[in-house]
This record gives sequence, structure tokens and C-alpha cells, in this order.
Amino acid sequence: MDALVFYGSALISIVASLLVVTRRNPVYGAIFLVLFFTTISLDFLLLRAPFLAVIQVLVYAGAIMVLYLFVIMLLSLKAEELREEVTRGRKAMAAVFSGGLFLLLARAIRASDRVRNAPDLAGPLPVGTGEVGTTFAVGDEIFRSQLFAFELTSVLILIAIIGAVYLTKRGPVEPVRPVEPQRLTGHSPGGPADRGVETGQEVGAAAVRGEAAR
Amino acid sequence: MSPPLLALLELSLKNVLLVASAVFCVGVYGVLSRQNVLVILMCVELILNGANLALVAFGRAMLQAPPGTPTGELASRANVAHVFVVMVLAVAAAEAAVGLAILLAVYRRWRTTNAGEIHLLSG
Repeated sequence: MDALVFYGSALISIVASLLVVTRRNPVYGAIFLVLFFTTISLDFLLLRAPFLAVIQVLVYAGAIMVLYLFVIMLLSLKAEELREEVTRGRKAMAAVFSGGLFLLLARAIRASDRVRNAPDLAGPLPVGTGEVGTTFAVGDEIFRSQLFAFELTSVLILIAIIGAVYLTKRGPVEPVRPVEPQRLTGHSPGGPADRGVETGQEVGAAAVRGEAAR
Repeated sequence: MSPPLLALLELSLKNVLLVASAVFCVGVYGVLSRQNVLVILMCVELILNGANLALVAFGRAMLQAPPGTPTGELASRANVAHVFVVMVLAVAAAEAAVGLAILLAVYRRWRTTNAGEIHLLSG
């Protein structure tokens, strides 16, 4: 039963990750990434890691994806800004490289005796095994044997926060590439029709001004 | 039922590792083939998740060690794997925060999120 659930979630997670990679619009990519994170959280539950399953949904699907969606909406990229000029050859080379990497990894996994002799992961735990993967067990491990690494992680996050605040602060830098007027005002520079409208408006304004003078 | 089909019904370490490496390689493909920096950062998250899945699977496999090993240590070993995943998660959060901040700074200056158009350092 566990195995069937795992196959289902594995199928969904691979399809979702492929969709993340192939969608042009990053909003769709972010939504499929949320789906992917939930399926991975399901796998964590099957592998007896309930604390990590909850943290996966809270931190990845909750916090990190909100950060991504926030930036996507802050930038509000238009369709022409999302265009990518990736040549067919470069895509093929990327596919060959990552496909070759997968074949190498699969070969290594198949060749390993340890992996072949590993028991059924869905089976019951040996009698007398302590708590595994619960909040208590993971917290106990963090604060007993991995305390130094945990403290270093907190320093890393502090540095990341300071870096993020410094980088997004409005500094004295000027834009190097001048912003086209089209992007600032939102309408295209005037063709003959536009000019006609503008002169019409000017005539109207002049009429209003004349009336005011009278 | 034939033995191969029966083997499919158990959750083997091999299958979990194959899924983890598939996710990893999809992420690598995305990093290599996309130009939108946002999508590249999301693909890095895919890569980290593949690694996390492999770590948890190994931690679970640790729990069924050959008989004779004290069982108290087994749980501790699996829990160390989980602590490792928590740290990978912290690194992923830090990477997302700094990466997106750099992306915002770059967008403010060059008005683009395309990695192909940001080539100040390429001679």
C-alpha cells in the first residue's frame, strides 16, 4: 500500500518538476512547484519523517513560495520580457548532460550492494527503536549532538537576512540602461492616428481656454 | 503473483533513490536550459529537494540495520539525517532570500530578469 502511494506521488512529483522547468510564465512554474513540494512531503510521511513533512509544507510551500510569488508580482513581468532566446542546440546539450547524469546516478544506484540489500522501507521498525522523525526526536538530536551545526545555521540565516536587506535597499545606483519612455508611460509612441487625437485634444483644450477667457 | 511484481509492491530504497535522482536531474536540466533567473532559482529548489529525498530515504534505510547493532543508536542515526535535511532547508531559505534580493537589485538597474542579457562580466 505504501509503495502504491509512493509510486503515485513520485509520478506526480516528476511531472510537476518537468512542468516547473518547461512553463514560460514563472507564476505557473511556482504553482507547480507548490504541488511538487506537497508530493515530496507525502514521501517524507511514508519514510517516517512526520516532522520534516510538516516543515516541508510550512517552510517550502508556505514561506519560500510566498517569497517567490511576491517577487514575481513585484516585478510584474510582461510577455515580451519573459521571452528567452535559448537555441535548440543549447537545450539539446542540457538534455544530454542531465540525462547522462541521471543514467550515471541510476547505474551507481543499481550497482550498489548496500542499496540492493536494503530492506523494505515500508516494513515495521525493529522492536526497541526509539522515536524516529518526530518533533521530539529531531529536536533532541539538534540540541544534543548537532548543537554547533545548528548555531552555525542560525548565523548563516542572519547573514542572509542582512544581505537581502542590503541588496534590496534603494541605493545611489543609477539605471545603466535608460528606461524606454514606452515602459514608463504605458502607451506606444504616437503614430499618425495618435497625433490626430492629440491635436484634437489640444483644439478642445484651446476652446475651453478661450471660453474661460471670454 | 510473479516475484518481480511482488518486489514492486514493497517500497525499496532503490526506487526512492531513482525518483530523487530524477528530480535532481530535472532541476539540473532547468538550470542549464532556462534564462529567466526566477525559474533558475526554482530549479535550484528542485535540486535541493531531490537531495533531501535521498537523505531521508537513507535515514529510513539506516533503521533496518543487520541484527546485533544496538537499536537505540539506529533511531539516532535516522534522526541525524533529518537534522541534516533541516539544515539543507535553512540553506535553501537563505539562498532564496539572497537570490531574489540580487534579482530585484539587477532588475532595478537593468530592467531584465533574463540571465542571457546580464553579461557585464563577459568581456
